[in-house]
Amino acid sequence: MPVGERESLTGLISMLLVMILFAWRLNGLHAAGAFDGADALQVWARAVLILIGVSIGIAIVVHVAVHLLLSVLTGDDLDERRDERDHLIERRALTWGWYLLSFGILGIVVDLALGASGLRALNLMIALCAGSEALKDAVKLWLYRREA
Amino acid sequence: MAQIENRIRRLRFDAGEMTQKELADRVGVTRQTILAIENGKYSPTLELAFRIARTFNVGIDDVFTFLE
Repeated sequence: MPVGERESLTGLISMLLVMILFAWRLNGLHAAGAFDGADALQVWARAVLILIGVSIGIAIVVHVAVHLLLSVLTGDDLDERRDERDHLIERRALTWGWYLLSFGILGIVVDLALGASGLRALNLMIALCAGSEALKDAVKLWLYRREA
Repeated sequence: MAQIENRIRRLRFDAGEMTQKELADRVGVTRQTILAIENGKYSPTLELAFRIARTFNVGIDDVFTFLE
């Protein structure tokens, strides 16, 4: 399995776990009324910064676990080389991620113009960033499978 | 449908049944890229095409054919 394909697989798994973690934590804070005060944005920002730190840890653990699992399953050394095909697939997948991100930001701006709160916009922005990254990884996996 | 045909599999066979991995190592790409090229799923850059041709000591026309 090429390094790019492996990365997109670990990226998708990590992103799924991180999105569940974000939704659970932010929903819990919201239910507890942490975002009701005047300092709601600061509370939100602190919570997100902590979650980003935890997410990096999750990504490292998933990366190592997938690497070990694939080494055992395939029974040989994994190719760490990245060549022109990997770069081409990366660029194509990135384009799709950017489409989602661009149109999503436009949607959030429209949502704000229609009266949505800043907190809602920030939550949507986090979800959008995670979604575009997940889309990029999914497109990469599909391109690797299609062109295998 | 691929517009470029190639004879890499045949050339590998003629070169003492060179494996895809050996060819990949010699031209500096992954085995999966050689596999994709052989199957007509990926068209290599001109640079890689020349490197593949040089590996077999043939001209680029002997490896790749562009279908009009």
